[in-house]
Amino acid sequence: MSTQIISVLVEDEAGSLTRMSGMFSRRGINIHSLTVSPSEKEGMSRMTIVTTGDEREIEKVEKQLNKLIEVVKVNILDKNTSVVRDLCLLKVYADKENRAEVIEIANAFKSNIVDISIRTITLEITADPLDIDRFVETMKNFGIKELFRTGVTAISRDVEKKSGG
Amino acid sequence: MNEGLKGTEIVVKCLKEEKVKHLFGFPGGQLIPLYDQLYEETDIRSILVRHEQGAAHAADGYARASGDPGVCMATSGPGATNLITGLLNATMDSIPVVAFTAQVPTKAIGTDAFQEADTFGITMPITKHNFLVKSTDTLSWTIKGAFKIANTGRKGAVVIDLPNDVQQKRSKEYHHGEVKFAGYNPSIVPNPLQLKRIAQKLVEAERPLILAGGGVILANATEDLRILAEYLGAGVATTLMGKGAIPENHPLSLGMVGMHGRLGANKMINNCDVLLVIGCRFSDRTTGWGLESFAPDAIKIHCDIDSSELNKNIPVDFPLVGDANLVIRDLIKFIKKYEDVKKDTNIWRKRVNQLHSMCEECETVKPNGSKLTPEIIIKTINNFLDDNAIVTTEVGQNQMFAAHYYITKKPRQFISSGGLGTMGFGFPAAIGAKVAKPESQVLDIAGDGSFLMVCQELATAMSEDIPVVVAVLNNSFLGMVRQWQELFWDKRYAGTKLGTIPDFVKLAESFGAYGERVEKASDIEKALKNAFDSGIVSVLDFKIESETNILPMIPPGGRVDEMIGVGRCRHK
Repeated sequence: MSTQIISVLVEDEAGSLTRMSGMFSRRGINIHSLTVSPSEKEGMSRMTIVTTGDEREIEKVEKQLNKLIEVVKVNILDKNTSVVRDLCLLKVYADKENRAEVIEIANAFKSNIVDISIRTITLEITADPLDIDRFVETMKNFGIKELFRTGVTAISRDVEKKSGG
Repeated sequence: MNEGLKGTEIVVKCLKEEKVKHLFGFPGGQLIPLYDQLYEETDIRSILVRHEQGAAHAADGYARASGDPGVCMATSGPGATNLITGLLNATMDSIPVVAFTAQVPTKAIGTDAFQEADTFGITMPITKHNFLVKSTDTLSWTIKGAFKIANTGRKGAVVIDLPNDVQQKRSKEYHHGEVKFAGYNPSIVPNPLQLKRIAQKLVEAERPLILAGGGVILANATEDLRILAEYLGAGVATTLMGKGAIPENHPLSLGMVGMHGRLGANKMINNCDVLLVIGCRFSDRTTGWGLESFAPDAIKIHCDIDSSELNKNIPVDFPLVGDANLVIRDLIKFIKKYEDVKKDTNIWRKRVNQLHSMCEECETVKPNGSKLTPEIIIKTINNFLDDNAIVTTEVGQNQMFAAHYYITKKPRQFISSGGLGTMGFGFPAAIGAKVAKPESQVLDIAGDGSFLMVCQELATAMSEDIPVVVAVLNNSFLGMVRQWQELFWDKRYAGTKLGTIPDFVKLAESFGAYGERVEKASDIEKALKNAFDSGIVSVLDFKIESETNILPMIPPGGRVDEMIGVGRCRHK
């Protein structure tokens, strides 16, 4: 069982999100995260789904997705050749005692400070989901008040063809 | 706006372009506009059922008998929800059905209006596809798209939800020509490279076996299947849905496989060296349990129009996506090229023929005095009906007795609910089949439990003059579940003994239909003749023993070749 990222190009029809997620629940497949966004093609959206399964299970998911009328293209993204990102907004407790320490760690993780109050700091980080996991773990030491993550979005890298010679 | 066509005019125009001649439906408040449009329509016959489930099943039976999409309609809310079972039944068996459901006006959607149901949401997981039409401008495009989706690729049910205002508004938009979907292009042309490999395996086989599913019938490929089998000397076993894919009196026919299949056919699955599976989805009723023990030593070839079925239930050596018609036609072409390497299959061919006659013999029913048994009833029906007759079944013992003892000689003449196993399917499906094929004798082999679920359709058959015959195998039990309780649940007949059984003869007569009770084997033929001669819908009440079993069967958890109750089988 390994985590898989599936990128799906779908026609922008009412109900296409329900149809997609319905297929997963009907076939008993868990969705870890699901993001929907506009794509470069007019009238089409891109959905990025993170799920777990072995090769055979993912092949089944791919075929079932392809069967849906609104689904135009399904890509199973290879993690080694894709850029994978997750966005996290995190409100952590920080008063004058430890504010400096929180900021120092936030900087180390290349996260941005987006808001500060007397008792809290709100941080924003866009990174590989595993890096965000580590960031969140570290911040737990200060006490997390609120946590929001968008879920994964991903894009495959273009492999440059070697020019002749 | 007074220009263009009214929504309902667009519906009727599209239906005519799709060559729809019959609609099965039941009206309601939100469906009045469409019914009104059909009121003076002479080219489309609107058949009023007595429960919407009957409309869906009748459309399904119509499609199975004719090969054309069946069309049904129901009003919003309860009308639409009553269609559900029938729509899933069609989708599970890949039958093209288009359903129109009325909806509350677009402005009222989401307000929990009277008779409002989220039909779009409810029918999403039980159909091949569905639409909620929000504007009359997109109506013609939607209807044409719906027919395309229902009737191409792997077929299935499609729902078009029609709000009241969409039916009544006018629009100048009318889509001409084919509807295209960016994400729907069912690839039906089989890959020639894979075909070549498969052809080679087939000619190299010493013990080839074909397992034909409903896909062969849906693709109208039965004639070519027979040619292929004869050329290869391959035995042909079928699934329940594949019954009729090869004439069952053909010497290469082995009958049905699976949980209630023939022992011989099941054993052959595990004896063959190359298994060619076409238009079959390896349902659990076909494979038995223990999937790794299904044809363990055979090279497995699986051809299906739906790529998601390949390697889904049973991993195979050679998967191939394609329409069964093209697959079989091309296989014959390729195989002929390998003439020189073709193995001698004479010994195997003889063995298949021998097994065929052995099974025929084992299933020969000799009258046992005047005793009325399901076997003798179905055998008599078999001899009585002509070669163009259509038999439908309900679900349960009646269905399995029919599958065993009714010899189907042509495709589209054995109509049964396979995937969903819907009790109450057979009678309305028979009505649909009779509408599609008015010249054919149509008979529903029913159980008392199943028939009671849909007996109100006697009114439909009477008022619309649809003379089908219902043969009720009346054992006062829900027979199949009782059989399971007898064999696997210590004879605890929980919920299966039907206390009050109506007098089916009087029931029929109360609708003005013909009814007759049969208690002796010698009276079966006469009763059948009376029923068909009556010229009206008829119910024959066959009083059979309350506790009979349909055997052999694979017990729960058993492998495909581990059957119980094989007493009558000589092939062991």
